[in-house]
Amino acid sequence: MKVAGSIPASPTVKALRRAFVALSLAGAIAGLLRARGKGGIPPQEGGWSELKLPPA
Amino acid sequence: MTRPDASGPIVGVVGHGVTGRRLSTYLLRLGTNVAVYDPAMSGTPRGAVAVSRANDLAVTDVVALCHPQPHARLAAEYLAAGISVVSMSADVVDVRALVDLDHTARRHNASLIVGAAMSPGLSGLLADHLWRQLHVAEEIHVATHGTAGPACAVQHHDALGETAIGWHDGVWIERPGGSGRELNWFPEPIGAKDCYRAAMPDPLLLQRSFPGCSRISARVSGTRRDRLTARFPMLTPPHAAGDLGAVRVEVRGAGADGARVTVIAGASGPTADLAAAVTTVCVEACLAGSVEPGMHAVGGPSLDAPALLRRTSELGVQLQEFTGVARSSAW
Repeated sequence: MKVAGSIPASPTVKALRRAFVALSLAGAIAGLLRARGKGGIPPQEGGWSELKLPPA
Repeated sequence: MTRPDASGPIVGVVGHGVTGRRLSTYLLRLGTNVAVYDPAMSGTPRGAVAVSRANDLAVTDVVALCHPQPHARLAAEYLAAGISVVSMSADVVDVRALVDLDHTARRHNASLIVGAAMSPGLSGLLADHLWRQLHVAEEIHVATHGTAGPACAVQHHDALGETAIGWHDGVWIERPGGSGRELNWFPEPIGAKDCYRAAMPDPLLLQRSFPGCSRISARVSGTRRDRLTARFPMLTPPHAAGDLGAVRVEVRGAGADGARVTVIAGASGPTADLAAAVTTVCVEACLAGSVEPGMHAVGGPSLDAPALLRRTSELGVQLQEFTGVARSSAW
């Protein structure tokens, strides 16, 4: 319905608006996941050492 | 260096690039007579004899093929002359053709050892060592980093752009080269590298050596530029003297108590040294008469893999194992 005085948004503005909404949503979801994640401790042990071959 | 015995066995070396030179050095140090054929070679290598035609090596006891692929045609000629052959080829099509020479080798009472380099080669010996540690072994995953000479670098470049093969639950699978990124930790000083599927013959040979294995994969390290340019000619000239390399083998299975176990071993050093050491021990085995006529894959049951690995270590290859718990990180 057209309302007097309203200006229809151009396709460019519509696309920009949609992109802004999509980015906001993605940021919000990522933030939520990051906040809920437990993180963790990287491996603190292990590494390379000389290989001991069994005797002949 | 032991002085070569003039009446002793002669080893022919085809291709005197970075790896071929290293192989000659190992053999001469062990007191073996070496005859070299390389049309691109200038001058005679110290301690060795240079020949002008590949046919001239038909009087040798064992021929090591260290030149750029293909090896199959020349290998067939030497085998037909009753000469044992050790091949360093790392090209999938070429290795398939070499494997098909089994009958030719048997018919002429000669031995053919295929994949006697770093990968394939050292990867097979390490896989055998790890395989023996598990009660039930199911998977073998190989990763390599580095190249020996310029020809090896070109092959590495091409491998990332070609179709990779893998053994997956009893069937061969094909995947695009450069896919399947996996971060692998190699022995120091190489460290962590992103690795991708590539056209490597390791799965082909490992599946023959370990027919009970359900999954086999092979990857090579690569950068974003390597992956991007893999389907084009090499943009930058390869490292003329080769570079540091590493191989890492991971075997997964179960222990005696049924618990899942992953064991990892590897080696690092100048790539040409690692490859040439494996070729040298294979040549030694042929000269010692401990290799039956026919085709053999390095690491397979028809060769004494533990003895070959031990001898490789004696030649200076620093073998390493990953200690600690191999598991995916939680961070």
